[in-house]
Parts: sequence; C-alpha cells; structure tokens
Amino acid sequence: MKNSCSSVSKFLEKYFDQEVKEKERLLIEGHLQDCSACRDALRSMEELRALLKVPVEEAAQKEDFPWVWQKIEKEIHLQEKLKWWQSLHSWFDVSTLFRRRVWIPAAATFVVLLFITAQIIFKKTPSYAGASVVEYLDSPTCNVMVYQSEEPNVTVIWLFEGPEKGTTPS
Amino acid sequence: MKKIAFPPALFLILVLFSTSVALGQVQTRIRAIEASNVGFGIDPSLRDVHRELGSLFSFTSYRLLRDETLNLLPNQKVLIQGHHPGRFMEVTLVGLHRDVAKLRIRVIREGVDILNTEIRLSPGRTVLIGGPRRGEAVVIFAVSARF
Repeated sequence: MKNSCSSVSKFLEKYFDQEVKEKERLLIEGHLQDCSACRDALRSMEELRALLKVPVEEAAQKEDFPWVWQKIEKEIHLQEKLKWWQSLHSWFDVSTLFRRRVWIPAAATFVVLLFITAQIIFKKTPSYAGASVVEYLDSPTCNVMVYQSEEPNVTVIWLFEGPEKGTTPS
Repeated sequence: MKKIAFPPALFLILVLFSTSVALGQVQTRIRAIEASNVGFGIDPSLRDVHRELGSLFSFTSYRLLRDETLNLLPNQKVLIQGHHPGRFMEVTLVGLHRDVAKLRIRVIREGVDILNTEIRLSPGRTVLIGGPRRGEAVVIFAVSARF
C-alpha cells in the first residue's frame, strides 16, 4: 500500500529531527523515493536549519553560559540545603524503623529502663535536716568517741586503737 | 513529622539521662593526715583545715599523707589503700537527698573491721576519722563532699 503525502507529512518533521521509530523511518524513506513534493519539503527544512544554525551559534558564543550555570547551581544548592533536624535525621537514618514500627517496643523498653534508673538514682530518702552526722557506728575492736562541733562545722570520730604490732612506742 | 521529631527527642532523652547520672554523683575528698607531737608545723596543703585541726586537737605537727578525690556513684564501693599495708578504707555512697550524702565508711585492718560507720555529709561539713596509729603519730582522715 502506498503511503499518501498527508499521512507521511505529519511524521516528516519528526523524521528530520531523527525522532521517529525504525518502522516509521522505513515508511518515510520509501515514500520519499517516489514523492518529490515531500523531498522538497524535507530539503526546505534542511535549508531552514542551515540558515538558522549560523546566527544561533554566533549568539550562543556571545552568551556567558558558565555564569548562568553557576547561578542555576547556586539555586539548586539553596533548595537542597536541609534543615538541622533533617540533617540529623539523615545522620541517624531511622526511617526503616518507623516503617516497620519496631521502634515502638524499643522505645517502650527504653522508657521503662529510664524510669527504673531514675527511681534508683533519685531514690527518696528522708530529710536529714537537723539530724546527727553520724548515723551508725560500730567498732568490734576499739573504743570509739564521737564529737560533733557546729563551729567549726566538723564531726570527729576517734578510734582508741591499741599500739601497733611491730612498732616501738616512745 | 514523627520522623523529624525523633532525633531531637532522642537527644533530649540522652541529655536528661546523662544529667540524672551526673546529679547522682557525689564528689568526695578524703585526705589522710599524719598528726604527731614530733616536730612543729602544718603541711601547706592543709591550710584550709588548719583552724579545725588546731581547735580540736593538740598535736604540734600535721602532715598530708594522701589526698584522694572520688566521684562516688550510688552503692559503688571504693577502696582506698591505707597508710600501712593491710589497712584499707572502704567508702560507699548509700544515699543522696538534696544536699546530704549518706556514706558508709569501713576502716579495715588485716581483714577485720576496726570501724564501721554511716555518716551524713553536707557541703561544707568535714568528718574527721582519727585514731589509727602510725608509729608515734596517729592518722586522721578528713572526709568532705561536694555535689
């Protein structure tokens, strides 16, 4: 079946830009061998491109593309800059934990441990205001004396120890 | 939102935990002093307790044998080597309430307790444990706390 110009012409621009598929390319090239009108249309496109190519290239050379790219790059970096908590999050990257919800028992365990630790550390003891400094005293071998002085703020516990073995008393 | 809130929350928990641990710590200073009537003078490092020693005892010479600063945690036993081999002092923080730390002190001589006591220390108060002999002198342990 012969392809009509109307059905080929809509692919002609794509063919010119090399954007057609292999099957379409074969159809167009077959048609172009027989159709002078379509060949002329294709030639016109080529001439037009040649006409435009020179001034466009000249204009492009005058443009300062590195400077433009620098601006674009800077803009990209500004948009990509993460906030501090986002950075911190990326450091730890615990997203998988959230997805799997395994953090729930882990967090619960941590809270329980924290609670137990706090109970031990902040174990309430009765107020000692005004109580004596020495709460308990025992010496199975020596006599002991306790002297509590408020001024200076000193408590003395004195052991009446016998002479040391192996030492010569003066 | 939850994902973003997690690291600061974790950080806050860790800060609170470390603060609680730090708050549960008691810095205890133990100085072993040799007191005798042989010679005269006081060790320059004992200037801060000179007045207390002078008002309580009649020794003529005070010499610093050892100065230890311990960071005690609740129920942590710390053993200090005594002035003679076979002599130890064991210090344990057994309680902490606001500005009062409760310490258990054992003075051990050749495996036997010669003193077993529990004292309550507040900042600014010093407990002097004296009497163990060292030749012609006696040893006085000055115990104070800071927290």
